[in-house]
Amino acid sequence: MSSIVETFKLTKRFPQIKRYHEILIHPLQKREITALENINIRVKKGEVFGLLGPNGAGKTTLIKTLCTLLLPNEGTALVNGYDILKEEREVRRSIGYVVNDERSFYWRLTGRRNLEFFAILNNLAPNWTNRRIGEVLRLVGLETNEDKRVKDYSTGMKQKLAIARGMLCDPEVLFMDEPTRSLDPVIAKSLRDFIRKNIVEGQGKTVFLSTHNLGEAEDLCDRIAIIDRGKIKACGTLDEMKALLDGKKRYLIELEKPAEGFMEEFKDLFPFKVRESLPGRGIIIEVATDDRWTVSRMIEVIVTHGGRVVGCFPEEKTLQEIFSRVTSSRGSDEGLEGEQG
Amino acid sequence: MLYQLRKPLAFVMRDFGDAASYKLSFLMQFAGIFLSILTFFFLSRLFGEVVVSSLQPYGGDYFSFVLIGIAFSGYIGVAQHSITGTISSAQEMGTLEALMVTQTGVPTILFSSSLSSFIWTTLRVIVYLVLGVAVFGVNMKGANIPAAILILLLSITSLGGFGIISASFIMAFKKGDPLSWVFSSLSGFLGGIVYPIEVFPGWLQICSYLLPITHSLKGMRLALLQGYSTTALLPYILALTFFTAVMLPLSLLLFQKALKKAKMDGSLTQY
Repeated sequence: MSSIVETFKLTKRFPQIKRYHEILIHPLQKREITALENINIRVKKGEVFGLLGPNGAGKTTLIKTLCTLLLPNEGTALVNGYDILKEEREVRRSIGYVVNDERSFYWRLTGRRNLEFFAILNNLAPNWTNRRIGEVLRLVGLETNEDKRVKDYSTGMKQKLAIARGMLCDPEVLFMDEPTRSLDPVIAKSLRDFIRKNIVEGQGKTVFLSTHNLGEAEDLCDRIAIIDRGKIKACGTLDEMKALLDGKKRYLIELEKPAEGFMEEFKDLFPFKVRESLPGRGIIIEVATDDRWTVSRMIEVIVTHGGRVVGCFPEEKTLQEIFSRVTSSRGSDEGLEGEQG
Repeated sequence: MLYQLRKPLAFVMRDFGDAASYKLSFLMQFAGIFLSILTFFFLSRLFGEVVVSSLQPYGGDYFSFVLIGIAFSGYIGVAQHSITGTISSAQEMGTLEALMVTQTGVPTILFSSSLSSFIWTTLRVIVYLVLGVAVFGVNMKGANIPAAILILLLSITSLGGFGIISASFIMAFKKGDPLSWVFSSLSGFLGGIVYPIEVFPGWLQICSYLLPITHSLKGMRLALLQGYSTTALLPYILALTFFTAVMLPLSLLLFQKALKKAKMDGSLTQY
């Protein structure tokens, strides 16, 4: 599958306001904060690509840079084959930017009037404008509320109107900055379903979204990049990232009342961690191994020493763990990068 | 042609739709115009039939003189502040990013955003003049309307250049637009809005000619009150053309640079 968004060592630094003593001591020295550092990612056509990161990680900066609202200090990016530095207009023609700000509409005008205004600014042909507005309003389910003023819309409706605006020009890529941030869980879920079914599967669009919601990333995204302090720490499908996190698979084994001293002896044979003690009943141990026969051998040893295995099951690594792991190493440059993109 | 005008018209429709939704404010503005005329009408009665030599070139009547001054001085404020106001209000409302990510160039957005303010000011000017002629007896029978319109258009473009430079300051530095303050204060003081510049000493009169508003008001008064021919008005027309030719490209260049700085600093939507 070809790339529709590709970044090349994209770096963005923001100037910081200098304190008075800094102006006096180092009048010529710049005070900057690095928001993005050497970002290299590739987004495939037709996928939902999620940019996951804590607040202040650089998600919005990356999206705004790709949407030509910010200029990078170093590096560049291609969006739909167009350079964000040299072909701004072509980039803007290829994208829809779903602004995550309820105030980005004219509240005293109706939803339809707002869309008409932005349709004209996006060069939609006059004979096509009304039809297209009708289509996008139907797509987001706002056709019965099109003549209401935006001030009377709920937060979810405004978010849907923002998506409708982003879809007006039938863009190749839709950039969404935390699209469900201010929505309740039920509306957020329906919006996620809508993005997946209607925009990606139905319309064949590429969606590039940022979120700090792990569930959302796991639920919606084909591939995820974890960004922290301006650096991509991990990138790939969930399975690829799980594999990068730790090559070993983890199993939980529940034992019933193991014989005294047995566990110490057993630990020498097979390294494990006690996950949970079940008073009067037994113990749950955690074993990490990349050898699929280890567990079988462990159970065999337990049973031959008179122990009883109540249950044994593999434990899947969660995105939460991956996220915690890459973002907890704050200050460290280490991530699970492998190949970005 | 109509297709080219779609974007400016879209902005005008947007702004009038928004303004009309504030009905009380919409109506109050007309009451304000009437009161403002009334103030100067009674002020002019102070002069009575006294002949003031500095008013002679404009017909000698102070009320007619000041009516043109206050009616058209509205354009200074609009030219100076409408673009800046557009940028600031779009930043505050949160619509600036949504506008900047469209397929419309920045100059078109700037021009179109301020268009409704100019139309609104023109409506106010018409109300001023109609009230002046119909209610307060101002004589404009021999007015050279085409020349007045030409002077008005050149005034808007030359003053607009200063407005775009002010907007560039706001875009780049957010606050502290020194140009706007200096330009507005000097225009109010030296431009001849409520008194003729002939009352100034010679050197101050020379300074006043460095401002487009002086040429604009003088040309407008001579065209409307004295019915000067276009040839006779040529010095004012050429001066305004010169201001337009210099200020408009310079201001657009500065705005592009300010926009680039804002995109670099990440301050496009900050205010």
